[in-house]
Amino acid sequence: MRNLLLSSLLALTLYACTFGHYGRLKPNAKSWVTPPSSIFGDNFNSFLFKTNISVYGRDFSGLLVTKQMSPKDYRVIFTTELGMKLFDFEFRDTSFTLHYCVPQFNKPKLLNTIREDIGILLMNDLKDKKADLFLDAKNQHDVYRVQDGKMFNYYFKEKSTDQLVKIEHSKKHVKKIIFTLNNYENGFPTNILIKHYNIKLKIELNLLKK
Amino acid sequence: MKNTTLLFFIFISIVSFAQLPKGFSAMKDTTAFKQKMEAQSKLTNTMESDFTQEKYLSVMSENIVSKGHFCFKKTNMLRWEYTTPYTYLIAINKDKMFIKDNGKVNKYDINSNKMFKSINEMMVATVQGNLLNSKDYKAKYYESEKYYLIELTPVQKAAKDFLKNILLFISKTDYSVEKVKMVEPSDDYTSIDFTNRKTNQPIADEKFTVK
Repeated sequence: MRNLLLSSLLALTLYACTFGHYGRLKPNAKSWVTPPSSIFGDNFNSFLFKTNISVYGRDFSGLLVTKQMSPKDYRVIFTTELGMKLFDFEFRDTSFTLHYCVPQFNKPKLLNTIREDIGILLMNDLKDKKADLFLDAKNQHDVYRVQDGKMFNYYFKEKSTDQLVKIEHSKKHVKKIIFTLNNYENGFPTNILIKHYNIKLKIELNLLKK
Repeated sequence: MKNTTLLFFIFISIVSFAQLPKGFSAMKDTTAFKQKMEAQSKLTNTMESDFTQEKYLSVMSENIVSKGHFCFKKTNMLRWEYTTPYTYLIAINKDKMFIKDNGKVNKYDINSNKMFKSINEMMVATVQGNLLNSKDYKAKYYESEKYYLIELTPVQKAAKDFLKNILLFISKTDYSVEKVKMVEPSDDYTSIDFTNRKTNQPIADEKFTVK
């Protein structure tokens, strides 16, 4: 009996942790809608961020530059503050090119994770996709759910401002990565936090120049 | 045959000429230059200056410009601080290296990390201009009306992977390094211009320790 009670409590806690968050999302009558557009816009702009990466207790910092080269082509370059280029990525449509990476940074696991994070943030692959629309009544968010391989990306838009405030990359309702977009100025978040829940990785981007 | 040889020499001279930086010719007296640089380095006990760093990336329409201030004191003490558009500080104090970023200070033992050791050697040697004595670089010497120009090409493969060459522009009047340009294999580069230089003014040791 005691064991049953314990198992039930454990099951309930796990359920609350995993499903509780998405459980409160109410499907919207309108489904299969156009997902939100990229925060980086479609004006071939470049953005410069002071960037801090903390991975398993090790800290890296530098400058991250994004530049839209053509409607579906983004270049993302990371350099140290002293100017040394660490990596140079290109996201074109659904393909990816690694133009350059310093040997010290060329660890497949780390590189793939950062590539995936930047890819989600650029929202480049959303242009041809459709989303399921939900309402988070508690936080007054419109939530767009888009399939991303075996995963789902949830895009949270604040109803009052129409600003994208959060992206969650989840598998079977378990959050894997959360992107928080803060301090909007002139329609762009000046602080972006990327936090991983299955590995000890945190990336913080602070906008320096748009 | 004669014509082929002539053509070959014309081709070689065009190639060699093309490789010379604009407005520069090969330095006439490299021995005298090296002696002067060494003498100047011996006379310099402290140095400080403002700097403007520009990062050129071929895919970007604008350069990334950052500004700051550096201080140097013999032996082996360096403070390199960015003040705009972000704050970031590297201080080297003999065998210790401090990095202050986002209000957080990290302290490293230079000898424990190969990369920090080479950053230290390169930064100190760059501001002093004595990279020309390093066995890690092959040097070529040029001069113009205003500057001496040293082109340093890394010898080791590890360095060649991320660095094509370093160009040091040295003033002909006081033998100080006025500009450094670090060119990557892709021809993207970082250039640093030094202004408001002061030499042999007292600088407190505390400047080179970060808390």
